[in-house]
Amino acid sequence: MEFLDREGIKFSTFSGVEIQKSAEVQVYSQEFYDSSLKPKSGALLDSRMGPANKSGHCTTCHTGYEKCPGHFGYLKLILPVFNTGYFDAIINILKCICKSCARVLLPENERKELLRKMRHLSAADHKSQQWKKIRDKCNKISQCPRCGYINGTVKKDTKNFMTIIQDFSKSNTDKNVEECKSAISHMRDVKTPIRMFHGLNPVRVLELFKRMLDEDCEVLNLSDRPEKLIVTDIAVPPVVIRPSVITDFGAASNENDITARLRKIITANSLLRASLDESSSISKCMDIWSHLQVECALYINSDVRGLPIGASLAKKENGFVQRLNGKQGRFRCNLSGKRVEFTGRTVISPDPNLKITEVAIPILMARVLTYPERVSNHNIEKLRQCVRNGSYKYPGANFVIRPDGTKQNLKFGQRNNIANELRCDYIVERHLEDGDIVLFNRQPSLHRMSIMCHRARIMPWRTLRFNESVCNPYNADFDGDEMNLHVPQTEEARTEAIILMGVQNNLCTPKNGEILVASTQDFLTSSFLITRKDTFYDRSAFCLMCSFMGDGMDPIDLPTPALIKPMELWTGKQLFSVLLRPYAQMKVFVNLTLMEKSYDKRQGRETMCPNDAFVYFRNSDLLCGQLGKATLGNGNKDGLFSVLLRDYNSHAAASCMNRLAKLSARWIGNHGFSIGIDDVQPGHHLNLRKKETIEKSYEKCDNLICSFNKGELVLQPGCNAAQTLESQITGELNKIRQDTADVCMKELHWRNSPLIMSQCGSKGSPINISQMIACVGQQSVGGRRAPDGFIDRTLPHFPKSSKTPSVCFLDQEYDAKGFVANSFYTGLTATEFFFHTMAGREGLVDTAVKTAETGYMSRRLIKSLEDLSTYYDETVRNSSGGIVQLLYGDDGMDPAKMEANEGKPLNFSQLFLKVKATCPARRQDLLCSSEVIKISEDILTKHEDLISAQFKTDLLNFVSNQVTLLRKTRTLLELDENSIANEGSNILEKVAANISGISSKQLQVFLGTCLARYQSKRVEAGAAIGAIGAQSIGEPGTQMTLKTFHFAGVASMNITLGVPRIKEIINATKNISTPIITAILVCDNDVRSARIVKGHIEKTVLGQVAKSIKTILKPIQACVVIKLDLEQIKALHMGITVDSVRQSILSHPRIKLKDSHVLAICADKLRIFSPETDKKKLLFELHHLMTILPNVIVKGISTVERAVINKDKDKYSLLVEGTNLLAVMGTQGVKGCETKSNHIIEVWGTLGIEAARKSIIDEMQYTMKSHGMSIDIRHMNLLADVMTYKGEVLGITRFGLVKMKASVLMLASFEQTASHLFNASVNGRDDKIEGVSECIIMGIPMRLGTGILKVKQRYLLIVNYYLGTFMFLSSNLTSLET
Amino acid sequence: MVELLFEDIFSLTRMDPDGKRFDKVSRIEAKSEQFEMYMQLDVNTEIYPLHVGDKFTMVLAPTLNLDGTPDTGYFTQGGRKTLADKFEYVMHGKLYKIAEESNTGLVEIYVSFGGLLMMLRGDPSNATNFELDQKLFLLMRKV
Repeated sequence: MEFLDREGIKFSTFSGVEIQKSAEVQVYSQEFYDSSLKPKSGALLDSRMGPANKSGHCTTCHTGYEKCPGHFGYLKLILPVFNTGYFDAIINILKCICKSCARVLLPENERKELLRKMRHLSAADHKSQQWKKIRDKCNKISQCPRCGYINGTVKKDTKNFMTIIQDFSKSNTDKNVEECKSAISHMRDVKTPIRMFHGLNPVRVLELFKRMLDEDCEVLNLSDRPEKLIVTDIAVPPVVIRPSVITDFGAASNENDITARLRKIITANSLLRASLDESSSISKCMDIWSHLQVECALYINSDVRGLPIGASLAKKENGFVQRLNGKQGRFRCNLSGKRVEFTGRTVISPDPNLKITEVAIPILMARVLTYPERVSNHNIEKLRQCVRNGSYKYPGANFVIRPDGTKQNLKFGQRNNIANELRCDYIVERHLEDGDIVLFNRQPSLHRMSIMCHRARIMPWRTLRFNESVCNPYNADFDGDEMNLHVPQTEEARTEAIILMGVQNNLCTPKNGEILVASTQDFLTSSFLITRKDTFYDRSAFCLMCSFMGDGMDPIDLPTPALIKPMELWTGKQLFSVLLRPYAQMKVFVNLTLMEKSYDKRQGRETMCPNDAFVYFRNSDLLCGQLGKATLGNGNKDGLFSVLLRDYNSHAAASCMNRLAKLSARWIGNHGFSIGIDDVQPGHHLNLRKKETIEKSYEKCDNLICSFNKGELVLQPGCNAAQTLESQITGELNKIRQDTADVCMKELHWRNSPLIMSQCGSKGSPINISQMIACVGQQSVGGRRAPDGFIDRTLPHFPKSSKTPSVCFLDQEYDAKGFVANSFYTGLTATEFFFHTMAGREGLVDTAVKTAETGYMSRRLIKSLEDLSTYYDETVRNSSGGIVQLLYGDDGMDPAKMEANEGKPLNFSQLFLKVKATCPARRQDLLCSSEVIKISEDILTKHEDLISAQFKTDLLNFVSNQVTLLRKTRTLLELDENSIANEGSNILEKVAANISGISSKQLQVFLGTCLARYQSKRVEAGAAIGAIGAQSIGEPGTQMTLKTFHFAGVASMNITLGVPRIKEIINATKNISTPIITAILVCDNDVRSARIVKGHIEKTVLGQVAKSIKTILKPIQACVVIKLDLEQIKALHMGITVDSVRQSILSHPRIKLKDSHVLAICADKLRIFSPETDKKKLLFELHHLMTILPNVIVKGISTVERAVINKDKDKYSLLVEGTNLLAVMGTQGVKGCETKSNHIIEVWGTLGIEAARKSIIDEMQYTMKSHGMSIDIRHMNLLADVMTYKGEVLGITRFGLVKMKASVLMLASFEQTASHLFNASVNGRDDKIEGVSECIIMGIPMRLGTGILKVKQRYLLIVNYYLGTFMFLSSNLTSLET
Repeated sequence: MVELLFEDIFSLTRMDPDGKRFDKVSRIEAKSEQFEMYMQLDVNTEIYPLHVGDKFTMVLAPTLNLDGTPDTGYFTQGGRKTLADKFEYVMHGKLYKIAEESNTGLVEIYVSFGGLLMMLRGDPSNATNFELDQKLFLLMRKV
């Protein structure tokens, strides 16, 4: 492939002359066609601008419709007009220049200084900031320092469309204004204020701009002459981009919007010319001129603001801006997203018999999708047959391309002849065949696993089919989903696709390294049932099932039956061992331990767990444990397939999945698995227990309400009585569902299908079961119980203000607040049903809103991070080479390859288990504890430069943990702790070695594996980690429920979570909805000290600490007397004194009193006098004071709403709702160094940019965690770095993005397309086409991933290989010789 | 001659200590008479019913061949005489874990017979014959 090397794109403006020069024809005529329906010469469809339709002919380049690129025309305007896109720029320039001498309004020395500065700056971003400063400076100067002319303020005339005025009303120095004012003041009935202004019409502006010096232009950040901003001539675009549609067999034509607009401009232009020629009245000419201005503006942007009333009513025709703007505009629809050939789309369906790497393609589709295969000696016979079959018979071919480039369609012509003609170097576009490489995709493509590379399997029927294990990455189900298929057309594309995008190579998500392609649904159910402890198979059944899994292609070694006598029986677990390692030659030894969902951690009986939920694989033998989702399912890191993938390779994992899919599909087909009404019928016992639970809870709720009514309720911290009651009742009612669910899980028979499904994790939860069988539970709307839709009640069926869940009516209990006591089986009552719909609707609305919101968020994230990638020096840089991170994620590791949780590279315990199992000690060279530590330290120090310090300490910690276990065993067996006796000498020694001995071989293998694997986990150079990071954050966003609040330790203290919170963080919002400061206390084990600090932080007003505030009116004086409640102050340790109160009163913004007016009389009394001397007003003044004084803040931080004491494991801390981190940190008793805020902008302002970066990372991580989503910290790091690397916190919004990115095309393809383009041309911006968006727009490969390198290669030196007797030896170097 | 790894007479003390979870399999608790070993064992009670108070001999052997040749792991056809002939219930499995009890100094031996587990707890001296990853035959006979 060849791509033009482009230096970049430079944006500039065209002058009228330039437009004329580049044009082929002047356009002046209003009619389109002449009398013979031919395009009229000099009209808008002039054939010199290119042919109008396929039959047309270009009279400039004399070519047809296909070849002619189109030619421009021009349209001369009689009088110049403003260009809407440049209008703001024109006003800004006018603000800076003298309207008399056209020089910059700056004094000479300052001008020179600024010019120097402007030339010095290189970044476009800095230049425009500098230019803004200059503009503001000039705005303040009214008198020109050169000619002395007094300039008025330049502004838009708000009354007229696109007119500029110079307002003199404020420049008082002008005598004319005074004169005018005095003259007008003598007139009667004139009350309007005088406006003195001059219009600045385009002609005048053009003349001013022409006189500007080039140097001045430079100061004003103009790359070109400013007169080019004013339209004197219009370039008429070629006909091809505004095609006219002929209707009625050529009788009439529909013209394009652009053509129509141009015609209107021509009309207005000729009217203007006529009126000028006829010397009509000035006002008439001006009217026509302004009409021309309107038409020209609409031509560019039909949405232009401030249109005169008449014009805006007209039919909307698209201008150029509309063509570019928005999702359907040129940038986003045609330039950033391109249409492709060789694609297909149809409904999908499952097929467990396919491999996970395969996709079944219907023959129908395979006949259309072709691959151009080059004919060689190896495939010529196959391709000849394809050609003979033609395009209608599969496997055939559609086209043959000869070496001279001619293309032969196989629908016509003698196919046999063509087949015989076939030689090497012919290319045959043959139908898709088995094993071809295709890309498979499902929208919405939220992460990179939404498009993966499969191998084709051509099958009959009409759907695309694939293994259910691959549903997860696509998020597909089979309820009518459709998916897309693409066929890469070159060998290079195929190789890249299969290696980078192949299903096998994308089993793990780079979000956190969890496995994504794994068994689902039925596969889990059948594995669960097969591995039950009491499944036994006799020889025939066991052999049958062994043959299920491999299609009879693999050899299978039958294991010894677990039961030999009284009869031969194999267990299901043995079947699984066979599945993992079917034959002895297979070198796959899986070792892992896992806890399934139902494992009881409290008992801690490991393998002897009575539920059989502890899974233990040892050397590919399933020793115990019933397999479920934790072992086989997706979304974990220590499951079976993850271990296979990490310890062996993707092929091992994939083939194991294939075997499991086949086995379970066939097994469950024979076994049968279904659900019926009896599965959801509660037993008698269950009913009793349910009734019991509900009654108990109702009683508790009634008691709560009772104590609330009496006012005896114990308040929760930070809540009032009603809130406490509500939260306690809610808690109680929510517990019912949970309790009944537990009862269900216990009481149901083990063969109950929903129970099985929920136990193995294939579908459904205990709560779902409980809803079907026992009790639907509390319905919540907006996070609380059903709201009151009527006065003081939810529905008119209930008594007013009833809060209880048990309202009695006709011997039945109904809940007034949305608790549904019935199950779906028993059926809901009318009111219950209504409450259920309320909750249901909320969910629906939520999902609808969520998709739009998260979609936009993902788009912004991608746009801001798309061009970041790693380089060979391990740095992360953007497309222009700016460093964002010096080492990716601080350790250069690939998140997709991380094995342990929380982004740690290796799961040591699993690896150690494997090493011990696969490399048995055999009682040789056993190490004693001190030796183990010494050896490992030695080895690690030797390889220190290869591993990170963190990894080293982690590994050493692990080793020392193992050593303590070793020591423990030896002490228990009463052996010497530090030395090992000679072999065989002691019986106990032997036992100890079996229990926890470590041989030196084992240790070496373990450490060696750790080191080697660590090396293989580095991130590859060129990886587009920016895009991956953006997807990893954006994709989980779609799964979050939108409106979730969460209690920060204390009830009542809500913090925003979910999508809104993520939005706040990445937007760098200035006012977040729930700012909370977490203050760590110096003395964190005492409630009293916490209370004191709380008192200091929370705002206290005077009214709260004053005993009384009274007005005292005495004959001599009138004043307000404040008496403080000293006892209360002391009890609360407020530290408020009369003096501090006096100071607070004096500094209150609304009380304007002087020092002398506020007097402290004694320790608890203050006297306040009013400065008012007029006695009539004095009383009012004092009253006024009386209303303000109780609200004067005497202690605490005004921006703090409240503070709540939080108790966490005997440690007290304060949660402060509100802002002002600095003040909280400065409060006595608060540990400033450990105090945190969730308000990122405030952290930035208070603690600086690094602190802001850290808090972005922490807040993102916290938000994601509280939704149960784990995202690798490296992605957050990258996001935070991008948001802060410019030295300020930039949001991922259109405003922040402008400061982050230099490329005009990229910004234009994001938002505000037109304004970015206009600004770019005014400032003469340069786009170097480096980033991803730009490269896509220009259609050149981006410098990312495999494009990071360019191959330098001399064509002639390529060696030609001939197929001959010595295929590779007979290579001749003819080309070298030539 | 076969070298037996362990042989003792047990008496069944309890059935299903954690409640009956599986239809065909029960977990039995048993105490040995000679070595005072404690055993938990999953037994397929559908084909070999056991009851509390039953006494049985339990033998652990590395092979069923009477001459003591190691077990090949392959099925041998033909009704040759084996050790199993004398017993009523025979299982084949793998020793996967030897552990010490946290405070008593006793040793626990864990064997899995294709998912049917055995835990044998007793004095360390009885554990000397056992090794990790050993293939074992468990043979039982009621007395």
